[in-house]
Amino acid sequence: MAALTPYTFIQCPCSDSSTLGRPSDANPAANATNDDDEEADEDNRTFDPRAPRSNFSLYPLEYLLYCEDCHQIRCPRCVSEEIASYYCPSCLFEVPSSNLKSEGNRCTRNCFQCPICIGPLAVTSVETKPDPSLLAAPDNAAAPHSGPYALTCSYCHWTSTEAGLKFDRPNNIHAQLTKLRNGGLTRLTARERRERRKDPAYRAHLAAAAAVAVAAASEDVDDVEERGRGPGIEEKESLDVETQFANLKSFYQAQLANPNSSDTGLTGLGDLGFSSPTSLSRIMSIYTGGSLRDKKAKSRVGAMREALDADEGFQPARLDESAAIAALQAHGFDGTSSTAQLAEQPVNIGEPAFPHGQAHFASDLRPVPHLLRTKRSKRCPVCRHIISKPEAKVQTTRFRIRLVAGSYIPSIAIRPLALSPIPNTSSSFSSTSAPIPTSTSASASGPAIPGALLEPLRPAHFVLTFKNPIFESVKITLGAPAHTPGRFSSKVTVLCPEFQIDANTDVWDEALKEGLATTGGGAASGERDPRERRRRRGGTEDGSQSGINPTTQLEVGKIWERGRNWVSIVVEVVPPSLSTLPSGGGDSGLPLQEDEDVLEIPLFVRVEWEAEMGGDEVGSVMPGVGGSKEKGEGREKRELAYWCVLGLGRIRR
Amino acid sequence: MSKRHSLHPGSSSNTAAPPKPPVHLSSSLTIADSTLLAGTHTISLHGETVIHPRARIESHLGRVSVGRKCIVHERAVLGAAPVSSSSAAAAVVRRGGGGDGASGGDGAPAGVTLADYVTVEVAAVIEAGETVVGEGTVVGVGSRVGAGAVIGKHCTLTPHSEIAAGEVVPDSTVVYANGMRRTDKRGVAELKNKTMARQIDMLRRMIPSNPAKFA
Ligand SMILES: [Zn+2]
Ligand SMILES: [Zn+2]
Ligand SMILES: [Zn+2]
Ligand SMILES: [Zn+2]
Repeated sequence: MAALTPYTFIQCPCSDSSTLGRPSDANPAANATNDDDEEADEDNRTFDPRAPRSNFSLYPLEYLLYCEDCHQIRCPRCVSEEIASYYCPSCLFEVPSSNLKSEGNRCTRNCFQCPICIGPLAVTSVETKPDPSLLAAPDNAAAPHSGPYALTCSYCHWTSTEAGLKFDRPNNIHAQLTKLRNGGLTRLTARERRERRKDPAYRAHLAAAAAVAVAAASEDVDDVEERGRGPGIEEKESLDVETQFANLKSFYQAQLANPNSSDTGLTGLGDLGFSSPTSLSRIMSIYTGGSLRDKKAKSRVGAMREALDADEGFQPARLDESAAIAALQAHGFDGTSSTAQLAEQPVNIGEPAFPHGQAHFASDLRPVPHLLRTKRSKRCPVCRHIISKPEAKVQTTRFRIRLVAGSYIPSIAIRPLALSPIPNTSSSFSSTSAPIPTSTSASASGPAIPGALLEPLRPAHFVLTFKNPIFESVKITLGAPAHTPGRFSSKVTVLCPEFQIDANTDVWDEALKEGLATTGGGAASGERDPRERRRRRGGTEDGSQSGINPTTQLEVGKIWERGRNWVSIVVEVVPPSLSTLPSGGGDSGLPLQEDEDVLEIPLFVRVEWEAEMGGDEVGSVMPGVGGSKEKGEGREKRELAYWCVLGLGRIRR
Repeated sequence: MSKRHSLHPGSSSNTAAPPKPPVHLSSSLTIADSTLLAGTHTISLHGETVIHPRARIESHLGRVSVGRKCIVHERAVLGAAPVSSSSAAAAVVRRGGGGDGASGGDGAPAGVTLADYVTVEVAAVIEAGETVVGEGTVVGVGSRVGAGAVIGKHCTLTPHSEIAAGEVVPDSTVVYANGMRRTDKRGVAELKNKTMARQIDMLRRMIPSNPAKFA
């Protein structure tokens, strides 16, 4: 069983079902009243970290953002994203969004991925292929680089010649590739195709091209298909999807424009716009059951005929799959392309053998141009303020604006607390029946090693260290259910549910102060090891360790230790026995579910502080934003409340 | 083995004074001073082969034969003890124990046989037990070839590939991505051999050879 590192997840308030859709006044702090006991009574609802819904609302602190205007946590689910720029992850070239519309969402600058293993492809000359293991041999540089060229993967040694793709020039591969069909045939545009059909030499040319295709393509798919098709050139002509669509479109447009089937109210389908009143009436007629439908339209539909030949976009279905079967027999399952590989493939519109872009065999796979990625800025969905904005330049990873929650709400660190000495375990066991959090229960043993298993029915103690990131001192109120929800309920006691954390003041100021020994908890180095700090503090305050040993002292209502901008408190838990024997309980006979042995306690955290009233705080005028506010002279009271989940450890089975 | 030891394998082996294995070294061999040769059976290293510093060749379990124009990189191990001895034994039994290696047989079982133009990259391990690596094959960084495996010609084992004991890998196979297999259709064997010859020329100028130490 893997050891469990203690963790803290924070529930974004947006997932509160009672406030869905209105996150602005959805501050649970408004619901949560002054006392956490009252709060529990009032809501009568304890956050259950094991509820299936909770999976989608719990985030580590690092994932959360914070809106300064709404004074609210924002999680990945409750921000609206805007695409700032598109770029290629391979060449880091920013693609203007206008290009995106015309050229698609893939890099057009010779960035290709291997269709087999997604490794990057390099352009190499087919004749003098430099070996990837060769370390810059001087002779190699002198080697003549002449065409044809191919794309090769230096990892799995795939080469585009396997799909019959060779390039004349080493640059502008993307443009060359779009004109190439597998096997090296040129793909024609619709106009070229039309022009060529008029050419008398086309018949001979087509036959030659087919022969080339047969020779070049390693598989015999084309071969069989060529034979399978009829002798007539009209039947033999196979269209790629683009041409077929263009032909079909022009054919049906011609049909609609046909005078003997014309309708005064309706133009061609291609011109159908949703803004025109005729289209609207047409759509209405569809939904209203034909009351508006005129009979003319019906008769017009009846007058239309279907496409008859390749010129009109007619393509007979290829039912002869013997070639595919033969190839499957020859290459086996390994020769077929996987679903993942097919998903990576750009829609391949050039291949008559697989008109819908689906290559059935690995040998049909084409190089994959890199998919573009985006940089996104994030906005608060309520006030529309930007809370995260990356630098526009693709090469930089910096952010212009990034309001991370970690710099607004206190972080919670969990550390198991070993109480020394452990006098006798039996007494601690007896205290489990009623774990009164007095100093007597300090004799209980806790797992000293982080990640150690928790003993069932034996109190364990954890030190929670709250660290205040803001420059105001904050008041924290904690609320935890006495019994964790779930089948195996642990008893939880927060020994100090209410405390104050000092402001995150300047480190150097604090260091100077500590030099004068004015404050007890100050230290220059932030919080390094709290234990070390305590020892040091004990030394400075008492001059000796003669006082009560703080490691054995657990008192209700007392904080464990405090520092410059942090406070540690102790939580006592009594893990349940994970025995699944049917001991009378209704569903206790079920086997232990996955991670049901993890001790997770829900903790309601309420943070209150007083902040400067910003001049630009428009939001503070609005009621209900950011919880209750009492406007004083330039100061206002703020509060923030949320549930979080502390994963403390696994319970021994 | 600690790092410090591996830095000076020669000195540590000298002080411990293990018997030097019988060797058959070609005159055109390039073998670095800090290469470690150990074992009891014959180690034959053929012409124009380059053995990098800190490579380890062990003949405890059988003869080790390295063909011509091979490159054995740093920390590569030829003839390592099989991880699972039972499978290695099974492989030996299956293959009938016939020594199909190169010359220099002393009647002992063949441990590892590398054909010509084989590259064994950094930290790759080839277990002993009639293991054969075919011509022009590249054993990638950190790969492990199990005992009794027979790898064909011009194969490529990408870094950290594992070949099970006793496995037979056909010619021109590329082993990649956690054991996926495909066939190399580039047909560049000749070219690769040429570039490898050039690489060996360069390495021979760069690695000081000391075959006398092992003789
Ligand atoms: Zn949210
Ligand atoms: Zn690119
Ligand atoms: Zn690849
Ligand atoms: Zn906002």
